[in-house]
Amino acid sequence: MTNRTRQKNDRILAIAPSSRGFGFAVLEGGATLVDWGVKSIRGNKNAGTLKKVEGMIALYKPAVLVLEDASAKGSRRSRRIRKLTKGIIAMAESRKIKVALLSREQVMRTFFEDGEGTKHAIARILAIRFPEELGHRLPPKRKPWTSEDYRMGIFDALALAFAKQLRKK
Amino acid sequence: MASSQLPNYLRAHRKRLGLSQDEVAYLLGAESGAKACRYERFSREPGFRTALACEAVFQRPIRELFAGLYEQIEREVAGRAKKLVLKTGQMKPGKQTARKRETLAKIAAAKPKKPRNS
Repeated sequence: MTNRTRQKNDRILAIAPSSRGFGFAVLEGGATLVDWGVKSIRGNKNAGTLKKVEGMIALYKPAVLVLEDASAKGSRRSRRIRKLTKGIIAMAESRKIKVALLSREQVMRTFFEDGEGTKHAIARILAIRFPEELGHRLPPKRKPWTSEDYRMGIFDALALAFAKQLRKK
Repeated sequence: MASSQLPNYLRAHRKRLGLSQDEVAYLLGAESGAKACRYERFSREPGFRTALACEAVFQRPIRELFAGLYEQIEREVAGRAKKLVLKTGQMKPGKQTARKRETLAKIAAAKPKKPRNS
């Protein structure tokens, strides 16, 4: 049978670039976590990240790619990450993938009514929501003198995907 | 033919269980994790024995583990069933033909069920 009807999927791929590489999460149907993790990139981080994200787009064929809006008012993302975000957007658009940009404030408002919360609080909410997948990956609360745990990339990415999913409803 | 679902969800299930690709490959009876990786990246489809081993490892039915593949196969079977329904129209009417038509109509009308992955 040659049925050429193309069914729409509702997969969301979220990417959260970090100083080490990037965190990612693939959410399907709003409730199923299909893939998640962190990737470390050595050498040219932007080129390496772009290559890996391109591979993920080819593998998962997401309907939407979600990124943090690095150029939003008040964003404190570095110049490298702003450049990387632009690069990912251009690459996704060239592959006809919809791109959604969410500011940190929009993500916070999704999880907390008053928009006042912490990354760790969001990570805890997500670890409770996906206990089998993320329960054991929740890092301890960061001390003021320690740097951020690399696993936070997963939660940052999932928070973006989740926020996008909830805003759609 | 594009499916709304991924061909398989082996990676999600493996990660959920906290197993490595090498460990899953060993459980499936493969030589190295490379094979498990190929299944997870949809570049290779496992054979029947391996698919059953996947069900044993992940404790989930095959149709759920290979949701996209199942959806595609189900659609193809439904198409063939439709053709067979037309053929039965030329058959001698009787109880058996009626029963056959009923069965084939059911298969032809089958809509893919969204399996539970989480």
